[in-house]
Amino acid sequence: MNRRVVVTGIGMVTPLGVGKERFQNALWRGETGIREIASFSTEGFGSHLGAEVRDFQPRNFVSVKNLRKMDRLSAMTTASVRMALDDAGIAVCDANRDRIGIVMGTAFGNTELKVQSARILFTEGPGMVNPIHVPNTVMNAPAGHASIELGFRGVNTTVNHQSVSAETAIACAAMEIRRGTADVILAGGADILSPFFYEALCRFHALSPTDGGAEGARPFDLVRNGPVMGEGCGIVCLEAGERARERGAAPYCEISGWGLASSPSPPTGWPDNPRGFQLALERALRMAGAAAPEIDCIEAAGNGGREPDAMEAAAYERLFGGGPAGPLITALKGATGEIFASGGIRAVALALSIREGMVPPTVGLLHPLTPLPFVIGEARRRPVKKALLSGISYGGTYACLVFEKGGV
Amino acid sequence: MAVGNDEQRVVVTGMGTVNALAADTGQFSGALRRGDCGIGPISLFDTATFRTHNGAEVKHFLPRAAIPAEFSLKRMSRSDVFALAAALQALSQAGLHPIPEDLRDEMGVVIGGGAGGLLEAEDFFQDYLRRGGQKARFSRLAPVCCASTANHLVTKLGLMGPKMTLMTACSSGATAVGVGRDLIRSGAARAMIAGGTEPLCRMTFASFNALKAVDPEYCRPFSGNRAGLTLGEAAGILVLESLAGARERGAPILAEVLGYGVTCDSHHMTAPDVGASGAVRAMRAALTDAGLGPEAVDYINAHGTATPPNDLMETRAIKEVFGPRAWGIPVSSTKSMHGHTLGASGALEAVVSVLAITEGFIPPTIHCETRDPECDLDYVTTGARSVAPEVVLSNSFAFGGNNTTVIFGRFREEGVRHE
Repeated sequence: MNRRVVVTGIGMVTPLGVGKERFQNALWRGETGIREIASFSTEGFGSHLGAEVRDFQPRNFVSVKNLRKMDRLSAMTTASVRMALDDAGIAVCDANRDRIGIVMGTAFGNTELKVQSARILFTEGPGMVNPIHVPNTVMNAPAGHASIELGFRGVNTTVNHQSVSAETAIACAAMEIRRGTADVILAGGADILSPFFYEALCRFHALSPTDGGAEGARPFDLVRNGPVMGEGCGIVCLEAGERARERGAAPYCEISGWGLASSPSPPTGWPDNPRGFQLALERALRMAGAAAPEIDCIEAAGNGGREPDAMEAAAYERLFGGGPAGPLITALKGATGEIFASGGIRAVALALSIREGMVPPTVGLLHPLTPLPFVIGEARRRPVKKALLSGISYGGTYACLVFEKGGV
Repeated sequence: MAVGNDEQRVVVTGMGTVNALAADTGQFSGALRRGDCGIGPISLFDTATFRTHNGAEVKHFLPRAAIPAEFSLKRMSRSDVFALAAALQALSQAGLHPIPEDLRDEMGVVIGGGAGGLLEAEDFFQDYLRRGGQKARFSRLAPVCCASTANHLVTKLGLMGPKMTLMTACSSGATAVGVGRDLIRSGAARAMIAGGTEPLCRMTFASFNALKAVDPEYCRPFSGNRAGLTLGEAAGILVLESLAGARERGAPILAEVLGYGVTCDSHHMTAPDVGASGAVRAMRAALTDAGLGPEAVDYINAHGTATPPNDLMETRAIKEVFGPRAWGIPVSSTKSMHGHTLGASGALEAVVSVLAITEGFIPPTIHCETRDPECDLDYVTTGARSVAPEVVLSNSFAFGGNNTTVIFGRFREEGVRHE
């Protein structure tokens, strides 16, 4: 089987707001979700900013019975999955539950809960470890909880590959729909901010300001000095094109190609050339049967890191030429921070760009490091027929997807 | 019957393992045939304060002796090292050591993750608790992420194909084999290193003890007196290739990956669904994917954790899928020998399944001591059998209600016989 894959619904819990209306408004207005961290103290750390989810009421989306057993990451995921199914107009029932699945991405899972358990183990002893928390320390807990709350029983996997977890999950989900093992798959990603994890990233010098200057996320900017950490969840409802057509759904877009690649790299660093990333871009375009000049817009992976943003920009220069005539480039991580499994939220933003013909600005970008056509300052109105979602991770892992308007 | 053409058919051309019984597949095959037990007191960390003290620990493995000096072991966790050793064995067997330049761009890695570098992170964390964040050496956390294994393999082997780490808890390794096959089928890669790796560590040991899921002595799968699992550690790695690619290279073909199915229970996070619907659907999905009927299967490598609910559920599921034939198919849980290696188990048991085919034996379930009236299948409790299976079905079930089934078959040009 080689079926087409379309996006028929979206759901999100983000630093820019919960739900499609709020997220979309913030996106077009170029709002930022980055502020001083409020949920824990950053005293003694080198960084103090973060993009926290602030207005999330899980009870609006999740039954009280199941919510009691859930951690925050699972609640964000379950809420996003419910929103995506509702948005797609899909009701899970006996007739379809075995053909609906989830492929979730999370880079680190619930880091807060794992640290709590470790603290108890090493201060109070193994007898005090609470069995209630054990299931939620497992990386596939969000996918498991979402399947229990929503009642679907098909394909269920979780991808955990650092900053490309969600892009890879969406590619895997699309692969499953193509091979016919499911008709609908909820796919995307989620990660959360936690005090220990934030501290670890600070001590690793992985966050802005890594080398002095003012703290802030400035993707592709000349004075960028590292990413700001964020949190949140974004889910796209992928559906077999024929099924969407039969039930008269109006898809946001089609996912017509994906490319996965890697390159030798220091374990927590970056390769010294963009070849691996270029391979992923080329593979995605080849599968989609698209030529580089057809691409109207790129949701870039740029997070304000010195090395990765330079590498990513170099690959675009090689693929699209260095001039201002190429696709519009925007990087959501300027507004949401680096969420690690950020590809779900960024896929949601790209689906909205295609539907609305609008490309959001790269928040935090003032002085681009190259003359590429970055969207700066205000959202740009432009029809988006074909677009790229780029995923890049330290350690040299790449996952890119081609999104196209239409699809049924 | 065969599925698709030579590009669509995916074969196993190499395997490697490090586990409590063995440090390579040759030793492993011997141990499985003898019915050795790899379970004993854990020496890796102090278990004095834990409820139980036994595990299936890797004790006779010297990394520097197993891995050539050209590969640095710096900043690698115990589970990363297991995987590298197993991957090198698998590549050697496949005739891919070194990997030809022209294959590297289109060869990738998919690893079913588990605790990753948690064992090392625990050492760090104790230091962090004692000395505080200002003084603790955070750089020791570098390999903590379970993606570390695939990153190291790609970097050390110079690969540029797809790379991913996935977790479906105790079925991660099996899912990795299935996804690896699909990546090749979909044209995303010509060859994949696919498998799983898992270390014993205090956090995991504490978690399963807190759930009271651990048998204090040793696990007794399908036995009437079974009382829980035994945690183990291992890596199991396969080299997967398209049949066309393997033929072109003249590679040894060990077996074919015939089918893969993954479902979820949507029932409970840790308890299996006693109705067994998820497991039944996973096995059926894998059979459908393989284009085979239940009559084609002649050995089932069970998940068989030896927790009371799992073994009962799995037995029920096998009966539902295979009908009256269920009693005629040998079913064994090799976890009785190598322990439950969690994220690695599906991949380790993929190695077992392929060894059953290539070495011509059905491995036993050891420690099945008393009868459970509801677990009444043929669990191969009296030692290995010298029977060469054509088609092996391997089950892996997991927390989160995840179920993965993979089917392997003896390689035949015309595809598997279909009676």
